[in-house]
Order: sequence, then C-alpha cells, then structure tokens
Amino acid sequence: MTARTLSSRSFASRGLAAAFSPISDRRSGEPTRLSVAGRGATVTLRGLSKAFGSKPVLKGVDLHIPAGQFVAVVGKSGCGKSTLLRTILGLEAPTSGDVRVADAAPNVRSARIMFQEPRLLPWARVLDNVVVGVGDRSDKAAARAAAQAALAEVGLADRAGEWPSALSGGQKQRVALARALVSHPRLLALDEPLGALDALTRIEMQTLVERIWREQGFTAVLVTHDVSEALALADRVVLVEDGAIALDLAVDLPRPRRRGSPELARLEGIILDQLFNAGARPGDAEDAPERARQEVYA
Amino acid sequence: MRFDAKNLLAFVIPVGLIVVWQGLSLLGEVPPEVLPAPTDVVAAGWRLGASGELWSNIAISAWRAGVGFLIGGGIGFAFGLANGLSKLSERLTDPTLQMIRTIPHLAMIPLVILWFGIDETAKIFLVALGVSFPIYLNTLHGVRTVDAQLVEMGRAYGMTSRELFFRVVLLGALPSIFVGLRYALGIMWLTLIVAETISASSGLGYMAMNAREFMLVDVVVLSIVIYALLGKLADSVARWLERATLSWHPAYLAR
Repeated sequence: MTARTLSSRSFASRGLAAAFSPISDRRSGEPTRLSVAGRGATVTLRGLSKAFGSKPVLKGVDLHIPAGQFVAVVGKSGCGKSTLLRTILGLEAPTSGDVRVADAAPNVRSARIMFQEPRLLPWARVLDNVVVGVGDRSDKAAARAAAQAALAEVGLADRAGEWPSALSGGQKQRVALARALVSHPRLLALDEPLGALDALTRIEMQTLVERIWREQGFTAVLVTHDVSEALALADRVVLVEDGAIALDLAVDLPRPRRRGSPELARLEGIILDQLFNAGARPGDAEDAPERARQEVYA
Repeated sequence: MRFDAKNLLAFVIPVGLIVVWQGLSLLGEVPPEVLPAPTDVVAAGWRLGASGELWSNIAISAWRAGVGFLIGGGIGFAFGLANGLSKLSERLTDPTLQMIRTIPHLAMIPLVILWFGIDETAKIFLVALGVSFPIYLNTLHGVRTVDAQLVEMGRAYGMTSRELFFRVVLLGALPSIFVGLRYALGIMWLTLIVAETISASSGLGYMAMNAREFMLVDVVVLSIVIYALLGKLADSVARWLERATLSWHPAYLAR
C-alpha cells in the first residue's frame, strides 16, 4: 500500500522529467525533490550594465540566483526588468559587466523563455509548435513523443492536432509553456507571460507553473508587474527601479501559498511602499530603505 | 442541398445574359455582323476545334504565358526574398527595380519588336516583365512584415537560419505572396493578349486579329470567351493553392 502510493506519487510529480527524458538516470522510487534538486542553473550577474544608444537601462546590477530558485523581478514599466531578463538569456548583449549561467552548458537549450505573447507559429499545429522547443529535432518520432508528453503535462494532450487559432488565450499560453519546458531547461525565463490573461485563467496558470517548477527543479526568473503574483510564486522578489536593484526580499513561506494571508499582505506592503517611495512613514523616513535591506536575501 | 443552391446562384446572371443574348439574336434585334448569337460562337468553336486550329493556338498561348510567368515570377520572387532578407541587397537593387516598375511594360512593345522581332522571345519577355513586379512587391512586403516576435522566438529557441527561413519567414510571407501571384496571373493574360494582338503569327490573339481581317465576328467573340475561361482557370488554380497551403489561416478555417 505504502509502496504503491509512493510510486504513483513519485511518477505524478516527476511527470515530465521522467516520462520522456532520454538522459534520465534517476532510479524509480527515489524521493522526488531530491531527485530533481540541482537540475537548475546558477545565474550570476556582476556589474551588469546595458544601454540602448545613450540611454542607460541597467546600471551595474549585481545578482546571484542559486540553482533551483524561483525569483520574481518586479518594477514599474520601463524600469529595465525585461531587459534584465533578456540579457540573462543572451537575447541582448550587456554593454558592460558579466552574465554567467553556470552548471549548464552555455547553449540555448539549457535556457528557455516564455514571452508575454504566446508567439506560436500560426501555420503549425499545436504539437508542431511544441516540437519547436525540442532541442534536438533530428529524431522526429522522439521529438514528437516528447512534445506530446509536454502537452499532456499542461493538460492539452487532446488539442495536439489543432491550429493555434482555435485555442483560447490561456490555452495558447499553456502551449507556449509546454514548448518552453519540453527540452528540460535548467533556466526558465518568464517575461510577464500571464499579463494578458484574465484573472481566473491567470491563477490557474500560476498554479500550473508552480507545480511544474516544483517537479522539475529548474531555476525560474519571472518578470512581472503584479506584486501579488510575484509573492504567490517566488522564493525571492527583486525590485528593479531605474535600472538598479532597489529591494531584494526573501519570501520564506510554505507552499502552496494561500492568497490573502497576512504574511503575504505584509510583504506586499513592503514592496509597494518601496515601489511608490511611500516608505516615508512618520519618524522613519531615513531608515525605510534600511529596513528593506535587512530582509535582503542572503 | 443548400450548398448546391448557393453555388447555382452564381450562375443565374451569366446564364440569364446568354439566354437574353440568344433571344435577341433570334429575334433579329442584334445583327450577326455586330454580335453573333451564342450558338454561332459555339459553332465556331466546334469548327475550329475540329480543324485543330483552336487547340494549337491555345497551346502556343498557354506555353508563352506559362514560360513568361515562370521566368518573370521566378525573378520577382528571388528579388523579393533577397531584398526582404538583406538590407544590402535592398539598397543595391530596390531603387532600380522601383524605377523600372513605373514604366508601363506595354509601352515597351515597339522597342521589344525592334529587339526580338515578333517571335516567341518578344512575348515571353513582355509577360515576364509584367509579371515580375507584382510578385516582387508582394513577396518583399510579405517577408518584411513577418511577425518580428516570431522571428525572435525562433532565434531564442535555437532555430538555424535555414529553419528560421523555411519555418517562419517563408510561411509568414505566404499570404502576401499569394496576393502577388493572383495579381500577376491577371497581368500575364493581359500582356499576352496585347502582345499577340499586335504582333504574332500564332496564338489566340493572332486568331482573333486574323478573324477580324476576314470579318469572322464569331471567331473574335470565341477568342474573347476563351481568354475569359483561361483567366478564370488560372485564378481558380491559384485560389485552390491558397486554400491548400493557408489552411491554418483564420480566414480559411472551418470552411
């Protein structure tokens, strides 16, 4: 009884990783979290600056993301948070400074990005769109099998043969998620991927992203303008202001997190205060940033 | 059943016109030397078809149209792709192409006759010249307007330049390329008719001009009807191709 429960649980939670990973050398029955630990990439930014023409967007950002951590980057629009993400992914070259994505071969396959738009090829069927994400497409049958498994993981196995235009916005974004995950990335970059979805679909997607992240153990960097989304998902929230990190907050709360809990509300208050520079409460105008820094993620 | 009735609806007006035309001819309202009755036109078609004259003329016209289209379309397509993909190529060739484009290609007929006489080269040259520009412009437009976000996605997902071209750029440009194709098919027939009417010793246009010399109005009308049928045929083929390759497009879904 116990053994059966264990094996079915571990299958369910290992899901995607074990279902079709050809290089999976994990023995069945191994504790899930341990088996996927260390799959994530470590990201280290040192003095990262980026300017478009004469306009500086990032000004000497230092950031270290340990393997497997879920980091949310929040900030007002135009603060440079998307540029930060794109620079980590290598979609933009840094003007100065250093981006290091360690514990992973420095190829594209180890990092994947989900954009704000689904960016599915409208002329390819849902399954073929997911195949785009498969790193090694030389073995067509294996690539399609992997894509099919990834679609099953996001709950769209039965829509594999359809055109993207037949799907709803949330379904398209789930296909995009499957495409991002099908190659087992060590780093998943999420560039406001849920921003355009309606509130309910958004919560569903957050739950899905969190579940898959826990199963696969990749490092996740989520750029969002939604502070409550950042707090619902992330181990750590980084606030970017005017091209620099203004606040680095650890969110050490058990998962799954209950929306509207007092602790989340307290953290949200800290972030919003910093965001709108309203930290100046009577008497502690000077040490508001100081207080924030005390909660800095070590 | 409803589908059939809808399809038949398109034939109501043409068939009605032919019936009225035939009726007026029978009543003597339209003199046969101005416009022969539809039955006379069909009879002329039968006569020329039996002698083989009709088929050899259709064949030579279709051959000229096809070869000219392939050459001109190929050149236009190649330049469209090259200039859409490469800034260097565009800077080098686009201004010249745009300049040549402004010349009505039929204005070249006197020069073309001087160059090539009235043999096949002249007609193929004119068709190719006329056809190349709509294909060029629409291919260029299609490649340029391919969704840059999809191209960025392709790059971020490790597509090679080759994959990016065949899986993103070309397919994205296809709807626009088809617009150019259909437009070019129209120009193809137009150019050929004019070229064959002015200078030819075979082909449908020659057949019509020759018939005029001998006051064979039924053959003149027959030529015009055949031009219409061939033009419609080419357009239908293009539409069928469009439907087959753009089945993903929302405009063609669920039809």
